[in-house]
Amino acid sequence: MEAFLGGLAILADPYVMLMVLLGTVLGIFVGALPGISGSTTIALMLPMTITMGPIASICFLGAIYCAANFGGSITAILVNAPGDPSASATALEGFKMAEKGQAGLALGISAIASAIGGIVSVVVLIVAAPALARSAYSFGPPEYFALALFGLSMCAAIGGDSPVKNLIAAAFGLLLATVGMDLTTGVERFAFGITELSDGIGFVPVLIGLFAVGEMLDQAANRHGKAEIVSLEAARVPGRAEMRKCWRSIWLGSGIGTFIGALPALGATTAALIGYNETRRWSKHKEEFGHGSIEGVAGPEAANNAAVGGSMVPTLALGIPGSATTAIILAGLIVQGVRPGPHLFNEQPTLLYAVFASMLAANIFYLVMGLSMARLFARISLIPPAFLWPAVFVLSVIGAYGPNQSMGDVYVMLAAGVVGFLFRRTGFSPAPLIMGLVLGGMVEETLKQSLIIFGDDLSGFLQRPIALVLFAITAAGLGWPLVARLTRVARAA
Amino acid sequence: MKPSVAPVAGANLNRVAAALAAALAAAAFAGTFFFDEVPPGLPGLGAVEFPRLICIVILALSATLALQEPPRRDPDAHAPDGSALAIWACCLMFIPAMALGGMLGTSAVFLVAAGWLWGERRLPMLIGISLAVVLCLWLVFVKVFRLTLPGGLLFGN
Amino acid sequence: MTHAGVGGGTDITVRMMMVQAPAEFGQEFTVVNRTAGSGAQALQYLASKPADGHTLLLVTQTHLLSMLRNRSLPQMSDLIPVARATEDPMLVLVRRDSPLRGPDELMSAGRARSLRFGGTHVGGVDHVAIFAFGRAAGFQQPTLVPFRGGGEIVINLVGGNIDTALVNPAEAEAQLRSGEVRPLMVLSERRLPSLPDVPTGKELGINSTAATVRGYCVLKGTPEDRVARLEQGLIRAMESGVYKDYLRNTGQSPDSVTGRQAWGAQLTSFFEEGREALTALGLLR
Repeated sequence: MEAFLGGLAILADPYVMLMVLLGTVLGIFVGALPGISGSTTIALMLPMTITMGPIASICFLGAIYCAANFGGSITAILVNAPGDPSASATALEGFKMAEKGQAGLALGISAIASAIGGIVSVVVLIVAAPALARSAYSFGPPEYFALALFGLSMCAAIGGDSPVKNLIAAAFGLLLATVGMDLTTGVERFAFGITELSDGIGFVPVLIGLFAVGEMLDQAANRHGKAEIVSLEAARVPGRAEMRKCWRSIWLGSGIGTFIGALPALGATTAALIGYNETRRWSKHKEEFGHGSIEGVAGPEAANNAAVGGSMVPTLALGIPGSATTAIILAGLIVQGVRPGPHLFNEQPTLLYAVFASMLAANIFYLVMGLSMARLFARISLIPPAFLWPAVFVLSVIGAYGPNQSMGDVYVMLAAGVVGFLFRRTGFSPAPLIMGLVLGGMVEETLKQSLIIFGDDLSGFLQRPIALVLFAITAAGLGWPLVARLTRVARAA
Repeated sequence: MKPSVAPVAGANLNRVAAALAAALAAAAFAGTFFFDEVPPGLPGLGAVEFPRLICIVILALSATLALQEPPRRDPDAHAPDGSALAIWACCLMFIPAMALGGMLGTSAVFLVAAGWLWGERRLPMLIGISLAVVLCLWLVFVKVFRLTLPGGLLFGN
Repeated sequence: MTHAGVGGGTDITVRMMMVQAPAEFGQEFTVVNRTAGSGAQALQYLASKPADGHTLLLVTQTHLLSMLRNRSLPQMSDLIPVARATEDPMLVLVRRDSPLRGPDELMSAGRARSLRFGGTHVGGVDHVAIFAFGRAAGFQQPTLVPFRGGGEIVINLVGGNIDTALVNPAEAEAQLRSGEVRPLMVLSERRLPSLPDVPTGKELGINSTAATVRGYCVLKGTPEDRVARLEQGLIRAMESGVYKDYLRNTGQSPDSVTGRQAWGAQLTSFFEEGREALTALGLLR
């Protein structure tokens, strides 16, 4: 407690506070821009932070990380272009809300859910980081395999107009995930000798293509048919009724996000997708999903921001980064002479609590900024389409090119755009495709790793209790609707 | 960007989608036979089993899809008219045009052309906004974040 | 100036050097990241630029292995080594309660059965290092369990999914300090100042060294005076306080920075080692 107060005291230093504020503004901005992610920004800022001193620099980088995850949802909601991969689940419902003229509502709930998710995870980090970190050691390839199957098990239920279509889209996602060099055999698959493909299909270009460019192509064809957006509604922000409706999904998302973020191999994108699945599974208004459900924005947004705090758990407590971004923050810490690990909690508690306090502050800053600017941002959805959509296309091209500075990614993005358009016209949804792409690589890789560890013997899974429990939950989740229907039939008879 | 695949009145969209999916899966299945050989002596699954399994699953699913009732038509989905096709063509021309105008130069021209085709007829406004957007992009991506955007022969080198 | 992967250890090495370099050369520096194909795209990019010394490539062992596996890429003979930036020796680690208590148990176990080693992908740098180590120690062909990176390898080592692994000290720093993993030996010429009690492989009769090395190269055809100027300037830039701190804090060898002679010799010897290992593993055609 003393150390925590010490941490808060550091935050009272106006210089540190200014850095947190700067980091938050910068983070929201780069998070919203497709093509510049939080991790890129932190990597670019790293050399500049060396002269700041350890505490100010870590607070600055941590604030960027927290805010970038929230910023991604702004463009996802307004123009269907997730600014950050972790906002892809947000785009599914958020953009539908904006189309209905509820952009302000979606932006507002995104800010609130993000901040609650972020704060919950930082509190968990303060209370239980060392204990939670130890659970990372119990997660080997067999456990990740079971977890990935659990994530995929819901993909028939989300998205398009029939389960068969969802499964087909998910299977194509799995197939896309196999492109590139196979980890366990070193064989290049579906790369056709193209250097750009040997590292696999980039996640960002597929997302931008499926969502933003697909939407743009569709809008171009529907130029005259679209009803005018009701402009008065657009600026409304969430009130008490909306909050009551979303409460459950926010807590669910926060819990899922914190846990998944704390597992070193999984990040905010997976957290958001699983958060979306579970929000839908436990929602009382399932029928709204796919047509702009406010819970469908709150759940994944809480999850992806909770994953931020979660991914700091292994980074600080084990010295093992939980995501690409924390890998760079870890490098920043090390360069400053701070060696993360369990001993950090005893030896340098003040510094640690300063980090926690700055993350809390960043979450509160972007909540205030997000809410007060939601009305302003919401007006973007009122820009005449003749200006908006061509600009979205240009931003998509730069966004696909930016992260790896590769034209190959631009081609992938354009191809994904055509697929996205065809999906819209044939009743498919991008959601299961993305789940397949994100989790597919993990399903295959962890299965192969498990088999190597077990010496090619599948029965090795029987000796892994955590994996067995996860398999059982998956089976129950798949079997439950069936059992429920059978009992209803039996009772009626 | 094949307009021929866009909905044609009367066609059963599910059959078209199923046929496309099956064709892709079959092509991918055939592709697995052209992988390099897995080096000898490695334990565990090889490189081809998983992709082949997925392809077979897709083939089975597309057969199911072909038998299903097609969905109701989305009343908001219109077949592309001439201008829409022209906008799509602009998108397609973006990449080749970059060799000439660079990424930012092409963007400026694209914004004006696509905006005009979209139905906006106030040319000075189109040009003004397009220049403003490109200036912002240049400031943010090139000046602040130091990304090197591809240049072209005429502009951006 | 070019190389691969924003935010990884390699990227940060370049950015740390760049803190001081602009002052040293009186010129702006920019980092170009060309990530694809395990360095293949970076090599192609370098080859597409004029040989005037304005484009430097941070070469790692990964680039050499990509050259070996793809002959159409620029080869070793197309590059001129300029200066080495980092050298990060590898430790042989086991978990705390492993039955492999010391180097002797490791040796006898390795000869009796195929040990499970954690490493990066098949045909990668770790695979070659594990192969060379296993052969020098007279082991049965080790089983490689491939993972996505050093962090995952350490977690699975502690979790008991693999028997042992070759890891850089910085990657397992926290686990070494808390005693969750134990170092059996270090695969370098001399003992590490941070771990003075850990014997080197050579002291134990295993004639094998393994380290992650990174250094700068330019394209063949760069005028000699430019190369000499670059070598001097880069070494001076990497003797700055910021860079020295970076090396010390990440547990890398303080005499990492060295001129083109030693760096070139090291590249050539690793190139040969890689060729042998990949051929023996059946990964070269």
